[in-house]
Amino acid sequence: MKFTLPIILVVATAALMVLALFGAGQAHGTVGIAAGSAVYTPKASTPEQALKNLLVDVQRRNWDRAMTAVSKTSDTNKQMFIQDWTGTNGSLRSFSSLEGFESRPLHITNDEAQMRVRLHWTTPVGPLEDVRDFRLVREGDVWKTVLPKVQLPSVPSQVIPVTYLRWDLVSGGAADEWGSKNVDAPHVRIISMNAVDSAEGAVVMGEVVNEDTVPAFVNVNATLVDGAGSAIDDETSFDKIDHVLLPKQVSPYRIDFPNINLKNVKNVRMDVKATLVPASADPVIGVMNQKIESDVQGKSVLHGDLLNQSGQTVNISHVVVSFYDNNAKVVWVADGYEDHALLPQSSAPFAVEIPKSVASKVQNFHVVVNQYSLGRS
Amino acid sequence: MSTTTQSYSRPIPILAIVLVALAVHGPLLLMQLPAGSFDANFHMFFASHYAHHWFNPWNEKWFGGFSQTTYPPLTHQWIALLSTVAGLKMGYMLVQLIAVLLLPVGVFRFARIWVDDRAASYAALGSVFLGALAFLVYQAGQLATVSSAALYLNALPYFYEWMTEARARSLIKGVAISLAAAAAHHVTLIFGVVLFAGPVLWVAYLDARDERVSGSVGGVLSRAAVFAVLVGAGVGLVLLPYWLAIIQHPIHQIPIPHDSRANFLLNSTTAINYFVIPYGALILALPFILIRGASSRRLRPLLMGFWVTMIFGLGGTTPVPKWLLGRAYEILTFERFTFWATLLAMPIVGILAIQLLDRFRSKAAVALSLAAVGTVGAALWWLTANPYRSTGMAATNVDPVVAFLNRDGHDAYRYITLGFGSELAKVSTYTSAGSVDGDYNSARLLPEMTHYGSAQLTNAKFYGSAGMASLRAMLQHANRYGLKYIFVHDTYYEPLLTFVGWRKIETFGTGEITAWSKDDVPPAHKIESDAVPAPWQGLLWGILPIGVSFLAIFLELLLPEQRRVPTAAGIPVRAEPSEQHYVA
Repeated sequence: MKFTLPIILVVATAALMVLALFGAGQAHGTVGIAAGSAVYTPKASTPEQALKNLLVDVQRRNWDRAMTAVSKTSDTNKQMFIQDWTGTNGSLRSFSSLEGFESRPLHITNDEAQMRVRLHWTTPVGPLEDVRDFRLVREGDVWKTVLPKVQLPSVPSQVIPVTYLRWDLVSGGAADEWGSKNVDAPHVRIISMNAVDSAEGAVVMGEVVNEDTVPAFVNVNATLVDGAGSAIDDETSFDKIDHVLLPKQVSPYRIDFPNINLKNVKNVRMDVKATLVPASADPVIGVMNQKIESDVQGKSVLHGDLLNQSGQTVNISHVVVSFYDNNAKVVWVADGYEDHALLPQSSAPFAVEIPKSVASKVQNFHVVVNQYSLGRS
Repeated sequence: MSTTTQSYSRPIPILAIVLVALAVHGPLLLMQLPAGSFDANFHMFFASHYAHHWFNPWNEKWFGGFSQTTYPPLTHQWIALLSTVAGLKMGYMLVQLIAVLLLPVGVFRFARIWVDDRAASYAALGSVFLGALAFLVYQAGQLATVSSAALYLNALPYFYEWMTEARARSLIKGVAISLAAAAAHHVTLIFGVVLFAGPVLWVAYLDARDERVSGSVGGVLSRAAVFAVLVGAGVGLVLLPYWLAIIQHPIHQIPIPHDSRANFLLNSTTAINYFVIPYGALILALPFILIRGASSRRLRPLLMGFWVTMIFGLGGTTPVPKWLLGRAYEILTFERFTFWATLLAMPIVGILAIQLLDRFRSKAAVALSLAAVGTVGAALWWLTANPYRSTGMAATNVDPVVAFLNRDGHDAYRYITLGFGSELAKVSTYTSAGSVDGDYNSARLLPEMTHYGSAQLTNAKFYGSAGMASLRAMLQHANRYGLKYIFVHDTYYEPLLTFVGWRKIETFGTGEITAWSKDDVPPAHKIESDAVPAPWQGLLWGILPIGVSFLAIFLELLLPEQRRVPTAAGIPVRAEPSEQHYVA
């Protein structure tokens, strides 16, 4: 018993550990922590394993080991590789973490493979998905990933004159926190409202305009009321709106009511709150080359380019689009965040998906761009 | 030389061991080193509420309102009592110090069930230097776990005495201290029944069967049942508001990831944090613990208790905890099991110490001292070396945030913090404003939090998409909860706030913290909840837990232990045939 029991306990412990590593009780790591290194690293004897190793190291930000999974034939270096995955210029990508990925082979031979990966990013503004194709080659008995050359954005030195309007606000006293409470609120009006049912629940959407000569900070709220006059739910436009409206500017808004069906709704109470705020027309972001196209999966997508016409970097841009039918009625409002920064005088593509249920009705659209610039919020 | 030999062959007086504990941990606690631990502010927040509302456990400062009956109150109530003379932070340190001093006493008394006085004294001395103890006290801030374990270890010898000798005073004292342990931390008591009391019952059974004690096997088992029934009924009564709260609102929280549930083999930093640091030099003693524990029939229950607890402490490294605990696996954290495992190992480590001392004398003394100091030293070094531990917020002054909330009627609204870590509890302690966030997962009832697999909103980004989704859901309902102010200590969150309609209104200090506001938020109103405890529950909660701790103290003073009959030195394990009676 002196040695039998210890041996049994040691063997049982080891067996349980092996079971946890490979068996049903397999544990998952904690998200959000990128430090530490795995003791256990499988050899990349298949293209799937090679790509998985690379992406796991990207998740952990273990760049040195990730580079060992990259083929020497790649037209990149460590610095470019890191910047490709971690973003530059304070872009949304630079705030993001790779949370997960799913890969599937497009084409595999004995020495070469093409893989498509759906990347799941966690970002400050919510989860984002990205699809990338990777080429892998076999080098000896190990598969490695071939990375293409990364074009990092850069702009030439130049001077950009600022000629846009700016509204400053002189605070009346210490009691004023932001906005002005001792002057009339800007005159803001909801110019259209449409309530529809969607797969996720009821949606109230439309457009709001700042009719005043000063900028306004706008929030649109909606309350669904049933037949008895009781409130069913109240929600706000949240990030489906451009909150800062310059004089005469129009913004789409969308308010989602998850798990609510409109057949239970008798009335919708709309409420728009506006506050006078300091604002600037700069940076101006132009929306160019807009067109609705079908992608490879048959989905309708609004494509276009965002052109930063100012001399400041826009770190994160947010596109909000209202889609109209042939009666100029807003039939859908969609939005999307761009994960690359807009450098001065440079452009970047954007894409916003249109749900299949409304795609056939869409005749026109209106795009507004909301933006976040580091240090200017 | 003969003096040295004699000193090694005698038990170390328990008073000397307590003084060593005081010398090691006293200065660290007076320096308020645990103030930066993960849970210290949480405990002080709870204590602060008791200091102001002793008989009203409904606390509106977190989650829009929650019941403090969801967490056993004893340590918090003691801090609240001491805070009236020493202040909140020093009150915390004093209660922690008491727990740390009680621990070696408990280990000594617990170890005497298994080994002789000499080995027990070395076990107690070793417990002062446990890496797991330093980890829980200085890094995790698990005041309740440490306090409850210390009390529980002190109760178990009475349990053994009652079973084997049928002494009524052992029953009374054992039950009273057990209830105090439960009032400090219910989880310790629940698991302690299996992991600590199980081996004690087993060895009492063996002793009765082999006629090493006066009681019969039937007597031992029936008295164990009496003890269990009394403790069960007592815990049911003392923590009645807790049971009612947990029955009314079972924990529906989506599982929240915790690193102690990770597979240590897959992450070296986690392995260091949850295995190497807590065990320290005990890792070197593991072969001895296994072989020595298996070689003696009396030690086998202890060995099995240690092994099972150790397996649990490994978290997701083995599938056993998940298999046995089911859903509770996703709620519990497992570092406490490692602490308990080290405590269970100490009696056998005591035997190892005296065997080494008997054989190598001064050399062994030096080696054991170095191992002990190295273990506790490594745990203290890890406080700063641990890459998971953020020290950024600890160095930031949150007083301006507190001052902002307490002025100009800002406390009419609710607030959250982002990037504050455990400093959220510190802000909450000193402000009169309420928050929809909070640093206690089991009390959350708001759907914006329970529907997502993330813990505090202030740490949302560390929980990935789940954390950010929870934060978005809460911000979406800001008007509903009167959530007007957000304090940001991490620019990560600024894009979200910008896009969802919040604006920066103030910058504190040198810009580490910024205040954000949403203009159209109405003042916070009371959130109706069926979780508010009835007034009689508040009375019960304010009287019984602290009452049983006073009862335990008075019983210890009024019914002192009978003097021990000295046992012969050099008998390491109480398995010798000549030993017929155990006298505690």
